[in-house]
Parts: sequence; C-alpha cells; structure tokens
Amino acid sequence: MRRPSAALPVNRAARVAGSARRPLSAFAPALFVLGLYLLIAVGVWLGLWGQGWAEIGSAMWEGPSQDHWLGTNRLGQDIWQRGLAATATAFEIGLPVAVLSTLIGGLLGASAGFFAHSWIDEAVLWLVGTLEAIPFYLFVAALAFALSGHPWAMHLAMIATFWTATARVTRAETQRIAKLGFIEAARAGGLRPRRIIRRHVMPHLTPLLLIQASFAFIAAVKAEVVLSFLGIGVDDSVSWGVMIAEASQEILAGFYLNFVTASALLFGLVMTVNRLADRFQDRFDPKAARLDACNHA
Amino acid sequence: MDRALWGFVARRLLGAIPLLLGVTLISFLLTVYFGPDKTWDLVGLNPTQAEVEQIREQLGYDRALPERYVEFLLDLATLDLGHVEATGERVTEVLRRTIPVSLMLLLPGLVLGTVLALLLAMLAAWYRGRWLDRLITGVSATGMSLSFLVIIIGFQLIFGVGLGWFPVRGWVVDDFGDYLRHIAVPTLAFVFVSLGYNTRFFRAVMVNELSSDQVMNARAFGASPFSLMINNVLGNALLPILTRVMFSVPPILITGSLLIESHFSIPGVGRVTYEAILSGDQALLMAVVSLSSVLYVLALTLTDLLCRCADPRLRSL
Repeated sequence: MRRPSAALPVNRAARVAGSARRPLSAFAPALFVLGLYLLIAVGVWLGLWGQGWAEIGSAMWEGPSQDHWLGTNRLGQDIWQRGLAATATAFEIGLPVAVLSTLIGGLLGASAGFFAHSWIDEAVLWLVGTLEAIPFYLFVAALAFALSGHPWAMHLAMIATFWTATARVTRAETQRIAKLGFIEAARAGGLRPRRIIRRHVMPHLTPLLLIQASFAFIAAVKAEVVLSFLGIGVDDSVSWGVMIAEASQEILAGFYLNFVTASALLFGLVMTVNRLADRFQDRFDPKAARLDACNHA
Repeated sequence: MDRALWGFVARRLLGAIPLLLGVTLISFLLTVYFGPDKTWDLVGLNPTQAEVEQIREQLGYDRALPERYVEFLLDLATLDLGHVEATGERVTEVLRRTIPVSLMLLLPGLVLGTVLALLLAMLAAWYRGRWLDRLITGVSATGMSLSFLVIIIGFQLIFGVGLGWFPVRGWVVDDFGDYLRHIAVPTLAFVFVSLGYNTRFFRAVMVNELSSDQVMNARAFGASPFSLMINNVLGNALLPILTRVMFSVPPILITGSLLIESHFSIPGVGRVTYEAILSGDQALLMAVVSLSSVLYVLALTLTDLLCRCADPRLRSL
C-alpha cells in the first residue's frame, strides 16, 4: 500500500513553466529566526538564562512586570523563564527524534529500494504498513503503558513511528536512482551492493533526508504538545505542551499569558522549519511534487 | 464481474492478512504481554503462594506467548474485550455508548472540512500564482503550522469566551439547535485543521490535472471553468484525493476525538480513552488500540480495492 504523496506524478505545469531557482537569500529570514531559537536553547543549556522556570516565589497570575516580563502562572512561576526553558526542551525532543528516525528510515528505505522485491523489501514494507496502521497517539499511549511511564517512552515511540515516512520516500527515490547509468556502471565494475549504496546512492539521497529530518523535527515538536496535554509526554520538566496543558485550565478564568507565550513560540518554530523545508525543496528540485510533513497534531 | 476480477479481489484481501497480524501482534505485545503485572491488584492482603499462583493462572501469565496471542486474537474476533477496571462496565458496552457521540461530534466537521478544502484547492489551482492562490496557500501553510491543540483552545477562547456565540464546553443534545450550538466550536476547529493539511495536497493534484492534455482539449472546445473543474479535473483527480482522504481521516479523527472530547468534556470514545490513558486501564486501552488499527487496515484495503476496480490500469500492479 502506497501513500498518496508517493503516487503523485511530477508536476507537469512546473516543468512547462520552468520555475526559476530561488536565490540563496530566500533562506535568510527563516534561517535568522531558527538561529534565534537555537540561541535561546543553547543559552538554556549553558545556564545563561531560563534557569528559574521552577521557582515558586511570587504571587499567582501576576501581570507583566519588571521582575516577570510575561507575568506568572497559577503557581507563581515566571512565564518568560518557562518559555525559554521550554524552547530548549523542544530541541531536546526534536533533534534526537529527527536524527535517529531519519537514519533508521534512510537506511531501511535505501536497502528496501535497492533490493526491491527481495525479502528485505517485503519485510520493510510490512513493518512500515503495520506501524502506520496503528494510530500514533494510541501507539504512544500503549508504549507508555508497557514501559510504565519510562522517561524515554515518548522519544522511543516517536522514533519508532516517524521513520516509516522517511523509509517510504527513500525507498521510492532509491528505486529511481538504482536504474540510472552510473549505478549500472558501478555494478558492472564489480562493487559490492553495500558499497554502492554507501558511496553512490546515499549522497544522492542527502537533500531528501534533510527534508525528511526537518519534517520529523516538526512532527516531534508538535506531537510533544499533544502528548503532554494527554499526560503521556514531558514529565518533571517544562515544555510548550506542559504550559498549554496548564493554560487549558486557566484560560476560562481569563489568564491568557501562559497560553499565548507557549503557542506563539511553538508556532514560530514550526512555521520557520516548515518554510525552510519548502524553500529547500524548491531549490534542490523545483519540478518534483512537494512533500508535506505528515503529522496529525 | 468476471473471474479475473474476483481472483484479484481475493488476492488483495489475502494481502491484508500480514498487516492485520502485524497490528494485532503489536497491540498484544504492548498492552497485554508487556503491560503492567495485574496480579497484585487482584490478590487480597497477605496472599499465600497458592493464591498468587491461582490469580496468575487466571490472568494467563503462566502460559507461553504464542498461546496467549492466539487467545487474544480469538477474544478480539468475538469482541470479548473484558471489563473496565474502574466501573466494571463491559468494554463493548462502553464503546457502544461512546462511539455514536464521537461520530455525531466529528462527522459534520469532517465532511465540511473535506468539501471546503476541495473548493479552496480548485480556486487556488484555477487562479494559480495570483493573489487568491497566494492567500489560500498562505492560510493553509499557517493552519499546518498551528498545533491542533492550540487551535482548539484558541477557537474556544474566541467564539466561546470572547464573542460568546457558542457554549464554552459540555454536551447537550436534547434538540437539534442545542446539538448545533454544542458542536459549533469543535467543528470550526476541526475544519480549520483539515483545511490546513488537505488544501495544499488537493491543489497540487489539481494544478497537475489542469495542465493535462484532456483538460486543454476540453478548454479548447470552450468548456466553462465550472464544468471543466467538476467534470474533468475533479473526475480525474478523484483517485489520489480519495486515497489521501482515506489515509488522513482515521488518524485525524482519533486525534480530534482525544483532544476535543477531553478539553470540552464531551462523553465520546476519545474522552474514555483519555481517562484510560491517565488511569492505565488495560482492557479499554487494549480494545481501542487494537480495534482502531484493525479497522484502519480494513479501510485502507477497501480503498485500495475500490481504486483498483475503478482504474483498470492499476490492476496489474
């Protein structure tokens, strides 16, 4: 069973129009914003700011002031500090999940695509189909249940499910590449399949894998919010999801700062990475049909 | 139908069996086999070794994995799903009570969201590159970047608290007006989310179709934009659109049901599942995870089958 995005034919209109390559400067605004987010996260990791997110010392639900730039929450904790610390948490979840799920998906997808219709291919396709048929949030719930609240249950569940999208796209692209002349030449030259995949196929997959990694990053950051709201996400720490879950109890009482801070930071990061992925796709292959991040959060 | 087609249908149905075994095996392993040990919840104070053994035997902990998996499959096939821990109610009874509520809550948004996404995609594809197209793709990109949860809470704030048009939460379905007022905010949120990530895909399919030879031909013969869009573009793009809808609907339904029902206190299957997640209720979790995965596999197989029956070119694949 194939996903529709894989079945979508090349955009003929774009080929006719011959859309121009975007200049590199098109990346600048999004890269700048992403840099700001990274700066916040690195500062939190180095202990420069965002350290006082758990301090309970002030009155509850204070408005913005000199001491508390964005006011305080129900426990009198500083919302600005929590927003900064939560930014670091987002990267702590998004980066490992993106890297590992892309690696696994890339390797399995490339192997399946290179040895198309072999037992490896069948096994990978079966695993992809199976994991995709289990609704994601229920899968996380079941895994959290099985691991009885293990701190890495959420990361594990995300990696275990996000690699399938990468594997599917990589498999299709590898099948296409494997038919090209230089691969045939490498085969005729007597190179081993493993070496062909590593030296000749993988380099051509890099742009695709980068895009998939950015999608996995977005999916992880967004899924964290939903999972923390459902009570199976971040525990003993602060994240945008934790802040929004808190806020869902207090907005009806008219306290919006927690909700607005977390949502705005979340939206900014997701929008920025989405835009970068879009621009990047335009640049490296303007003719191909756009891929979309596949997340249901 | 001829025999070749029947053979094809049978092969496709058989092809779903490995997937069904896969999803049930994972559900079994996660919720039953590696699930928390229930022995100590069930034995009395200061149990003897014999009592503990007896409970473990009742729970099936003394048997081997394959044997327990087969038993799990039989239970699932006969819908013998056990009882909810907190209330002792039968799981099938809970599902029968809550699933209709969730469907009543989410179906209007689902239909509305898909139809609106199609209409907007047609507009964007027709005015490709113009300001209307940019507006629609821009709004849909924004919708894609917003978290479902943020949209739900935001819409509740705007329409329930701020403007005060609709109830802030709760579920009253005594008459049709009440029903409409209570599904208004959830439906708006649901429509916005489905617009976000369907419009772009539908637009891409339609842009592609608009430049095809047969559409060019119809255009040359002077077909009106409306008939062109409905008869030529939509007709030809139906298969990818149908596949997309079938792939994206079940996950978004489950996410929506979980988030909307727990946030708006609506007694649907999502809220029951949310409570089961929080309290670690094994029977209910097991039932929801395995049944929804099995239904998803069946729905996808059926879609695949329908597409291939509708389009003979796909049958050889």
